[in-house]
Amino acid sequence: MIPLKYNVRNLRVRWVNTLLTVIGTGAIVWSSCILFGLVEGLQHSLNVSGDPLDLIVMRKGSTSETNSGIELTKAEKIPTLSGVMRDDKGRPLAALELLNIPIVERLDGSRANLIVRGVDPVSSELRPNFQIVKDGGRMFEPGKGECIVSKNLTKRFKGAALGSELKVGEREKYRVVGVFSSGGSAAESEVWVDRKDLEQNIAREGITSSVQVRAASQADFESLRKTIENDTQFKLAAIPEVQYFAEQSKSSIFLKVAGTVIAILLTIGAMFAAANTMYAAVRSRTREIGTLRALGFSRTDVLMSFMGESVLLCSLGGIAGLLATLPLSAITYGTSNFNTFAEITIQFRFGPIVMLVAFLMTVAMGVFGGLFPAMRAVRMDVVTALREV
Amino acid sequence: MKFLHYIIRNALRSPVRSLLTIGSTTMCLALMMMLLSFLSVNDSVATSLRTYNRLIVMSSQGFTQPVPYARVGEIASMKGVKGTSTFSWFGGKYNEEPMPFAQFGVSADKIFTLYDEFNVPPDQVKAFAEDKTGCAIGRKLAEERKLKVGDSVPLKGDAYPLDLTLTIRAIYDGPATRDLRMCFFHWDYLNEELKKVAPNSKMLDNAGVVIVKCESADQMATLTKGIDNQYVNSDTPTRTQSEEAFNRLFTEMFGDLRGMIQNIGLAVVFSLIFVAGNAMAMALRERTTEVAVLKAMGFGRGLVINLIITEAILVTLVGGILGAIGSKFFFDLVDLSKYTAGFLPFFFVPWSTALLGVGASLLIGFLSGIFPAIRAAQLSVVNGLRKVV
Amino acid sequence: MGKPHSIVLQNVNKEYRRDEFVIPVLSDLDLVVDEGEYLALMGPSGSGKTTLLNLIAGLDRATSGAVIVHGQDLGTMSEGQVTRWRADNVGFIFQLYNLIPVLTAFENVELPLLLTHLSKKHRRENVMTALRAVGLDGREDHYPRQLSGGQEQRVAIARAVVTDPYLLVADEPTGDLDRKSAEEILSLLQQLNTEFGKTIVMVTHDPQAAQRASRILHLDKGKLVRDEQQISFPVGVAS
Repeated sequence: MIPLKYNVRNLRVRWVNTLLTVIGTGAIVWSSCILFGLVEGLQHSLNVSGDPLDLIVMRKGSTSETNSGIELTKAEKIPTLSGVMRDDKGRPLAALELLNIPIVERLDGSRANLIVRGVDPVSSELRPNFQIVKDGGRMFEPGKGECIVSKNLTKRFKGAALGSELKVGEREKYRVVGVFSSGGSAAESEVWVDRKDLEQNIAREGITSSVQVRAASQADFESLRKTIENDTQFKLAAIPEVQYFAEQSKSSIFLKVAGTVIAILLTIGAMFAAANTMYAAVRSRTREIGTLRALGFSRTDVLMSFMGESVLLCSLGGIAGLLATLPLSAITYGTSNFNTFAEITIQFRFGPIVMLVAFLMTVAMGVFGGLFPAMRAVRMDVVTALREV
Repeated sequence: MKFLHYIIRNALRSPVRSLLTIGSTTMCLALMMMLLSFLSVNDSVATSLRTYNRLIVMSSQGFTQPVPYARVGEIASMKGVKGTSTFSWFGGKYNEEPMPFAQFGVSADKIFTLYDEFNVPPDQVKAFAEDKTGCAIGRKLAEERKLKVGDSVPLKGDAYPLDLTLTIRAIYDGPATRDLRMCFFHWDYLNEELKKVAPNSKMLDNAGVVIVKCESADQMATLTKGIDNQYVNSDTPTRTQSEEAFNRLFTEMFGDLRGMIQNIGLAVVFSLIFVAGNAMAMALRERTTEVAVLKAMGFGRGLVINLIITEAILVTLVGGILGAIGSKFFFDLVDLSKYTAGFLPFFFVPWSTALLGVGASLLIGFLSGIFPAIRAAQLSVVNGLRKVV
Repeated sequence: MGKPHSIVLQNVNKEYRRDEFVIPVLSDLDLVVDEGEYLALMGPSGSGKTTLLNLIAGLDRATSGAVIVHGQDLGTMSEGQVTRWRADNVGFIFQLYNLIPVLTAFENVELPLLLTHLSKKHRRENVMTALRAVGLDGREDHYPRQLSGGQEQRVAIARAVVTDPYLLVADEPTGDLDRKSAEEILSLLQQLNTEFGKTIVMVTHDPQAAQRASRILHLDKGKLVRDEQQISFPVGVAS
């Protein structure tokens, strides 16, 4: 085998071409990874949102909280059911929640549907790592028209900063008294207010969107679910939270499809670019190839050497592109969930999907970009190659 | 230009290299066209709505909030209004499709006078208006789901606690910029059914949004203000805007995705500059002596630079035309929206976007050529000639 | 008063810098060449003959001293002016012909004419005249690789003379050719000198080639060591 060192040296000698190719393929890997980083971020957010002991109670037939509506009389019975976990103050962990999705202006003047969630005091305990962030004010007090806002939203929407007034309709407005975070879960795309306040503001007395319940144990989880679904006084849907969020993650299908199309088309483009560089490498080393063959290296050796060089070259690009995505993790993106039309914030996440995409792209462009140039090198006649200037 | 054939010959000197550069440019620009069109289609569709003199009245809290049915009649009697219709999103599931087509409860006797750009046979308009359980669907929807007049369309309620079984009475067709995959049915029918199953539902008597067709364009501004002023002190204030502005709302909801898609497009251009620049640099390295000969013969620096940049532009321009204009025609023939399960109601590459792509390829050619060109122009003639002797 | 001076070199020095070393190539060179002379430059490798040729042709600049060609002091001209001047005044002939492989014989010869304001029709006439002069009419549509070495060099000569330059410079024009082709090329150059009055400066290793010139300069280590005037030279001896 021809040592890989030989290829490393060659890439270094032709450093201008190497650098240009690395930047070119790197930019291609980078742009393909962006959407997958968002897919990854979205899935992570939905994964942490679902607790295995939690149920989301909605009207039968609804697939999303935003479409659901339950009469308050029914909903209020759910916290009283046996099998509901209790917190250290003895309160049942079952929260009635009411959703409103008004149109609110983003800071850049564009408009989006923002989830304003009317919550019960225990709602925060049903969310992972819910906390008011450091120097982020306090929890709202009921009846005062106050709200708390996810830290992801404070810099994105007009009036969402701590201390300012969030205006969500002609007469509906809330003073932002706190900024919260919740372990990257779905709650981080929401504004929270007191449920009663919201009820009055949107004239929805007597109705709630959903009830979030945590079961005391796995057995209670099953029995609660059965009770809520089958008992004649309820006849509601009790969907395991894990399943609910798994369903919601289908909305990332657009990002996945778009990401895949981008990755495939760009990989083909990058293959051509890599092939170009490798053809030039073969052409400029014709005599060397002849010499190597004359020294006794086989056709396979030459083939593997050039393929290896191509993969090496593309790996440099792949790594550069992948590293260039790291700064993106610091940024939160906002877009709409096109199932519910509600704004979701996504944190770019560098994880296994992104790495897999970059790896597959690198291998594809390295192998297919190197194949034909390497074959040209192999087919060269030794004697002619040696005579080449 | 008398040098053109020399430039073309140079570009064809290493056909594999030029083809690979062209291939790279084509693939990357085709992708860029898809991404940019995704954004610009929405804009151009919104703009195309300008001519129809229609307004959309929604709740001041956004289109997910109800507008009382009474508004439909009240607005219809206002001066300058030609007609009004409800437009209420049903959001039903069809045959377990994950992303079904959109269904709207409308004023069946009015809808096709308001949407006068749609072509429907007059007898079908009549049949649709007369059958309370009838529906009218778009041509593309009919073609793709193999539906025809007389077929029944079962819809499973999601946002509504009821199922509807509709019979197709009309199939509408219309311009390419209009959604030809909608399903219209009688709003009255939906409301009556809802009254039966949920007499207290907040969705009852909800018009959704109100479509208002104005008699002429100059009434639109007055009506927009007039309608909102009328209801500003009511329980349900309205927000009225042109149909164009209403449509832009959906584009705006993409939020940061817009910027991200533009960034990907820029990264692709950036990458191509390096890919094409590398190819050009490699081509010139192999041609060092020739450039020296040209300069010895009296070709000035400026001319040498011009020749090389023109060659670079020529190559990327071919790729640009194939990629940009090619994808324009490709997507005119192949309707991508068919494969997005309703996510995109339409997809085509607007001319402005295709030309932008061609422009980008010119820029890529220029930037990829300029540095190798300057390098070649600065090479000393004596050194360039010595390479051979 | 004799013929006007074509080339005047006064006290010319040329040195190259390589890292911290200064390598003198030409030192204190004085030379006068009259119009219509056919000068052969001879000398061992590294004697500075190609450098001298480059200075005369305006491809390189002297470190000190004056190079005056056709009344122009090349040292005082800008890069752009020298380039322009070369286009108008100098025709080049190289050892390896240096034709553009992707252009036909016709297009190769036409190339320098593209720098002029001649119309397409005039260009065509000039190219055909030049090709006829080198005996290659009928081959104008051939690509360099379809021609023999001798033919390629004739195309190169046609390219050098097509703009009707004042001076022809040739660097080992027969260095890569067989004897017979070499003789043909040398006769052609001689003909250009005698019939068209072109001043020619030719670098060569080949004593037989040098014999065709009207004057032979011998260089060694950057100095003129011998200056031979050929008393007479037969026209069209080799054919």
